Amino acid sequence: MDQPNAIIHQPVRLKIMAALRALPQGEQLEFVRLKAIVGATEGNLGAHITTLEEAGYAAIEKDFVGKRPRTRVTLTKEGRRAFEDYVADLRTIIDATRRE
Amino acid sequence: MNLGATAMTLSRDEAESTLRDISKTERRSSNLFGYRFGAPHLFLWGAIWMIAYGATYLRPEWSIVWPILIVVGVIGSFWLSWRAKSARADTFGWRYGATLVAVFLFVGALFAILPPHRDAQVAAFFPILVALFYLLIGIWTRGVRMVVLGLAVGALTLFGYFDLPAYFLLWMAVVGGGGLILGGFWLRHA
Repeated sequence: MDQPNAIIHQPVRLKIMAALRALPQGEQLEFVRLKAIVGATEGNLGAHITTLEEAGYAAIEKDFVGKRPRTRVTLTKEGRRAFEDYVADLRTIIDATRRE
Repeated sequence: MNLGATAMTLSRDEAESTLRDISKTERRSSNLFGYRFGAPHLFLWGAIWMIAYGATYLRPEWSIVWPILIVVGVIGSFWLSWRAKSARADTFGWRYGATLVAVFLFVGALFAILPPHRDAQVAAFFPILVALFYLLIGIWTRGVRMVVLGLAVGALTLFGYFDLPAYFLLWMAVVGGGGLILGGFWLRHA
């Protein structure tokens, strides 16, 4: 039996995906703001973002603002679709048990 | 995604709890994005209030700066939204324009029915209107900071109008304009 989408179905990654999905399509979120929203440590957040990037769900862009490094994360089209599917699945579960 | 698999491995309680987490995170993210989008507009309009109210306090004949600065503010707001280059900004232009037209129509109709008798009434009315907008935006987006800003601007305006009539314009320049600028910093660092 297959398992739920393990990439999304993890508390920190779920919050990352939700935070990114709430933005207009293509909008980037700075790492520090994402950290504040998700409430994860820097290392933990970085590791989960890398997992999402490797899955093709998130894209990372690194640059400098003056001399300060800046990391921005955005949801890819594939990531948005996967997350919407995931949310639809959750609703299906709730609706199915409601009918029982 | 695998609908069948997810349905088989999550209970209804887990699904509901996960949806609640998602909703909470999305709301927080959306609010922070809105705050970041709105902060520069507060800086701009705070500065305009400071200059315009301050000028009118110093010399009543300098009230001519108001229409000029309002035009500057409107153009500045369009520019700020264009600079943001976000999907939200794509729809911002016409909504902002339509909102301004609606507000001008409303104010025109209101003043035709209930004409103000003193300049101070007009000077107090617009900040109250701005406070109402902040409050409504905060209520509808669950943006606590916008609600606080709306209540603060409204309360400070009423206090200045009723308790400091001789210094009302100065009060609005310093507390109203300064308050908007501080509010902008508050939103930006949310």
